[in-house]
Amino acid sequence: MGFKQFEGADEEFNLEQMEAETEQMLRLRMITKDNATFARTKGGFVSLDLSESIAAEHYDRIRVVRSFPFTDRNKYISIRTIDEKSKEIGMIRDLTTDVDPETRKMLEEQMDIRYFTPIIKKINNIKDEYGHAYFDVETDQGPCKFVIYMNSSSVVNLSDVRLLISDLDGNRFEIPDYTKLSARELKMLDLFL
Amino acid sequence: MNLKFNLPKRQSELLALGEGETIRYCSPYDIDTNGHWMNNGYIVVTDRRLVVLTDQAVSEQIPIKDIAFLKCESLVNNGILVARNEGDTEDRIIARFSMKHVSRVAFVAKGALLIKEGSKKEAVSRERDHVCPVCGRALRGMSECPKCSGKPSAFRKFLGFCGQYKWLLLLIAFLMLATSAVQLYIPEVQKKFIDKNLRPAVGTTQEILVYALTMAVLSVSLIGISVARYYTCMSMGTRISKDLRRQLYHKIQKLSLSFIQDRRPGALMNRITGDTAQIRRFMEDGFAGMFSCLITMISAVVVMVRLSWQLTIICVAFVPIALGLSISFRKNIHRRFHMQWHKSDKINSGLQDVLTGIRVVKSFGTEEQEAENFKALAAEFAKVQKRNEVFWAKLFPVISFVMGLGIYFVTYFGGVRVIEGPLTVGELTQFISYSWMLYGPLGWMTFLPRMITQLMTSLERIYDVLDEEPMIQDHENAVEIDVKGAVEFKNVTFGYHSYEPVLEKINLSVKPGEMIGLVGASGTGKSTMINLIMRLYEVDDGQILIDGTDINDLKIEKYHSQIGVVLQENFLFAGTIYNNLKFAKPDATEEEIIRAAKMANAHDFILKTPDGYNTYVGEHGFNISGGERQRLAIARAILNNPKILILDEATSALDTESEYLIQKALERLTANCTTFAIAHRLSTLKDADRLVVIDGHQIAEVGTHNELMEKKGIYYGLVTAQLQMQALKGEEVNTEAAPAVG
Repeated sequence: MGFKQFEGADEEFNLEQMEAETEQMLRLRMITKDNATFARTKGGFVSLDLSESIAAEHYDRIRVVRSFPFTDRNKYISIRTIDEKSKEIGMIRDLTTDVDPETRKMLEEQMDIRYFTPIIKKINNIKDEYGHAYFDVETDQGPCKFVIYMNSSSVVNLSDVRLLISDLDGNRFEIPDYTKLSARELKMLDLFL
Repeated sequence: MNLKFNLPKRQSELLALGEGETIRYCSPYDIDTNGHWMNNGYIVVTDRRLVVLTDQAVSEQIPIKDIAFLKCESLVNNGILVARNEGDTEDRIIARFSMKHVSRVAFVAKGALLIKEGSKKEAVSRERDHVCPVCGRALRGMSECPKCSGKPSAFRKFLGFCGQYKWLLLLIAFLMLATSAVQLYIPEVQKKFIDKNLRPAVGTTQEILVYALTMAVLSVSLIGISVARYYTCMSMGTRISKDLRRQLYHKIQKLSLSFIQDRRPGALMNRITGDTAQIRRFMEDGFAGMFSCLITMISAVVVMVRLSWQLTIICVAFVPIALGLSISFRKNIHRRFHMQWHKSDKINSGLQDVLTGIRVVKSFGTEEQEAENFKALAAEFAKVQKRNEVFWAKLFPVISFVMGLGIYFVTYFGGVRVIEGPLTVGELTQFISYSWMLYGPLGWMTFLPRMITQLMTSLERIYDVLDEEPMIQDHENAVEIDVKGAVEFKNVTFGYHSYEPVLEKINLSVKPGEMIGLVGASGTGKSTMINLIMRLYEVDDGQILIDGTDINDLKIEKYHSQIGVVLQENFLFAGTIYNNLKFAKPDATEEEIIRAAKMANAHDFILKTPDGYNTYVGEHGFNISGGERQRLAIARAILNNPKILILDEATSALDTESEYLIQKALERLTANCTTFAIAHRLSTLKDADRLVVIDGHQIAEVGTHNELMEKKGIYYGLVTAQLQMQALKGEEVNTEAAPAVG
């Protein structure tokens, strides 16, 4: 007795299902204010109800992900499920126009939690010591000290003037325009440019 | 990683421990609800409560028994602790923290859940902090901050280690003293010559000749002693680094896989090669010069004071100035050359990028664009380099002049004293010579602190590995047994991180000679089970029994020699086929090897290569295909005559013909030993006596192919899905690829 007897009975059904799943993965589904309702939850997250025009689905909690976190913060926002698979529920093409202001605020709050990249406002001191640099800075989120490796991958140029600094723990800090720093700060940062 | 921080006084008061309540875990967190950095925030788990403290208040408090859900979620460059109370429907954020604490909080959350389960187990983190939580110093992959741990310093251990070279050290000390003595004696001879002999009417030609000869002899002996000194230092440096390297290598071989995998791949290699080289360099450059410089400088000062204390004061007064200048210039120079190095690094990586991706560059026709990019990088580097060279060329003479500034004052005031009478010409010359001895090594001495710190860093890193206790080692009563092949899993739980188990409560009993196929989606723990059978890791909970003996009670080496392993990617060492096969059994005869190769269907292709069994393989060696490599691995496994055989995706990614040959080879191999096989292509497992389906960290189904097909469970789903994939691909379902049975 072999498996072949099962094969005939279920092949079509399974094939259809798999194709449907593949299709779903390939489809770009746009979410706008016309087909989706977002709402704050008590726990500090956001829930989502899709209208029947795309799929009558409800999600207790969703994940809000940027497609271009560095270059286009408000475009192509991906709304995903919270489970391990993190499937895409849909995308918002432009956060500034495609949803109402209240929703926009809600989603931005979620993204502010998801992404944590303090912006360096002022460099108090950089001390380099045997392969590590110790930073003492003021960020938009308050004063902060961190340590980086002294190699080229710790400080990355996002553009000609924009720097992204990664510390030993994996935190990241941004300098939006290093040319705007004072001469004293620039001198300290010189090593990494 | 510390999971139990001490609370500051204010937070302790806020926590207000109840009668008999104890703190089990405590981790700081550092981001407040507005996303700002904050201080003195703590997440505390006691045996009764989970409490989140801010600087001034208790922001969250849940009795352990009311926790329905608790998880540390890792986001982008930060993390949140999410909780849900029993009876609630919604998750909520109770704390937010930077990457510094993500892993710590994950362990603490796990610990809280263990308490809730009523488990006696403690969450323990094998991970390491990157930065010392106490002093903020970078830890470079070490388990404890060497400054804060208070253990005997690496330097003291190193001194103990150097004890074995004490005769060599004595010789070096003697040579150093000799160098200084000769260096100090030369100006003395000069002085006598100038004052006594080099005077019209008094001196004779013969005296001049004697002087010239003395000077020549002294100079030659100085050179001789220096050469001997550098030679001994060099050989001691090489010996020390060689011995340390050997110790490190031995230690790393003994340490468990988890220790090695906790570290970045390059880091351990760096310790064996880089850090030991650092110590050799110090022994050669720093150590050799350090003491003789100090001795020379101190004795020079002593002699100078005897000649004229006033002049000595003038001379010494300039030392701090010269020192300060030297340090400040050094910083500037270091900065400049670091930048140059940085730029050249950029060029190198840019070049490597384009050259490795040259096929992509050419096929997309972007050669011009890449050339432009490189030109820009090269121009930038050239600019920095030119600027540095010019700077150096201008600066060096200036530094030398400034460093020697004291000499001009000594010359002036000394000259005045010669004219006035209390000082002779010879004495002045001698004095100036000694002044140079004082200033000369100053520039070099400023590098010393840096050299010493580098030495200390390297020592700390080396002793961090040497001090590590291997997690898996033979215990005292370990026994050697001849394995028959019975393997039993009893309630086995294991996870690479103790906070996320990969396998939970696994129970499985395997008879000798049985073939077990392990099946499941990727990431379910099939390979982990195999790692545990190989005893590369120790189980967190439960037991693995081999022929009724706990695997932990077996002598590791003896046990390993009775296991054969064929993996998906089999590593061949640089060397001949013969040596690679012999690796499993160093005393194998040539005939045994040929027999094993024949069994593995490898003999014929080996003899097709020009050099037969002497063909060089491995990196830069003879190019053998994946299938051939696989058959060599099987031959290697057979040679051992293993009682337990492990096949981890041994036949995946091979063409049908190679797979057929390997299948045949494996059939012979699996005939008389217990076999555990993992395969994604389920057809490979058609001969398995039993199939074990792993899903959700546990054994979901056990049975023969037919039994599992009838059950219509997970295995059934996998088989049908695979068949449909083949149908989708339009492939013919041939009998070899399909798991046809009966």
